[in-house]
Amino acid sequence: MAGAGYYDIDDILAVQERVPCVLRVDLDGLGSAGSGGSSKVHRNSRWALPLWMADRLNEEDYVDMGVSPVFSKRANRMYVASPESIQLRAVSQHFYQFGLHLGDLVPDIPHVLRDMYMQRVQRIARIAQQGHNVESLDFVQSLDKTEANMLRLCQQAQGSIADWQQNKAYTLGRAPTIP
Amino acid sequence: MTITARQREGFTMPELEYRAQCERVAIVPLHRMERLELVTGTVGPFRPPQKTSVPLWLAVMLKRSSRCRIVPPEWLSYEHLRARCREEDQPDSLFTRLPTHYLEVAHILLANAEDDLVDSQGVRRLLQDLRETRQSKTRDGIKMLNPLQLQMDNLSAAEINEIRPLFARSFDMLRRLDALAATAEQTQHQSQFSEQPYSELDDSLGSSYLH
Repeated sequence: MAGAGYYDIDDILAVQERVPCVLRVDLDGLGSAGSGGSSKVHRNSRWALPLWMADRLNEEDYVDMGVSPVFSKRANRMYVASPESIQLRAVSQHFYQFGLHLGDLVPDIPHVLRDMYMQRVQRIARIAQQGHNVESLDFVQSLDKTEANMLRLCQQAQGSIADWQQNKAYTLGRAPTIP
Repeated sequence: MTITARQREGFTMPELEYRAQCERVAIVPLHRMERLELVTGTVGPFRPPQKTSVPLWLAVMLKRSSRCRIVPPEWLSYEHLRARCREEDQPDSLFTRLPTHYLEVAHILLANAEDDLVDSQGVRRLLQDLRETRQSKTRDGIKMLNPLQLQMDNLSAAEINEIRPLFARSFDMLRRLDALAATAEQTQHQSQFSEQPYSELDDSLGSSYLH
């Protein structure tokens, strides 16, 4: 599970997303962790666990990990149908990174994410070049963390040439060590 | 010195401008001067009215103290740029050929040696047109994005720098998604094979050889 994003705070936060799990053993004294009030948790009860915990417990056969509703069949169909009008931020703050972690669970994910990413990134590039307007406002507010980050970087890169042409960029100076 | 987020993503424009100052331009000196021994090489001697080729930074320095006249490069003329603009406007055309540092050199010359250019306002306008046309082309280019490679000939340094974060990140994302798709397919295949009895496995192998 550890990968390229080891030092990436957003990647860490992405595995905090909860996934539905079904317990396979009886657990004593852990009722407070689950939904029930009693101190014993019974087999086959449902738990929503953070992905980092669920993944490990799944390997050790304590729980059966299910597919998160974010990537259910129905949700995937929705992503394919209208990639630009999904409110990704509402679905999950770390949508893409979460998807990358779940890839081996749902084989559809890479294709769905890829199509969606391509569509949305083109729109992001357009917005970065032409600036915000009323129509794009909804879209900008629907971006997840990965995309919002991308939009910010693109806007900075676009702005840097304009700033420089109007002499608003900083100027390179001599290092203090050089007399 | 702190490194800003922008610097982490690539060059900043002042850095590119600095690099562009090493480009050579022709000047006509107005005073006699001996040759200059510089770290990067020798320039001069300066004998008016003979043309000499010097680095851009030196040309600007001499120009400021009115010791020379800068001969603008051939591509920085109204006619040449207008021809380029027309080429660029053709539908389905590729990027036209322009120097790597054309934006920077033009900027420096327009700021420091405007009187040496013919029709500097026209040149300025054409450069802006060129840039906008090329920008919309790069935007179309993102449709061709794939995890393997991307080719855009004749893109200048500043323009590459402008789209660097967008393309670098998209590449990264597509590459990760493709790797994921590959592993997902592999595990699927494996699980399929392990569930099949041997005779069926033979059949499927045989048929896959036939195809």
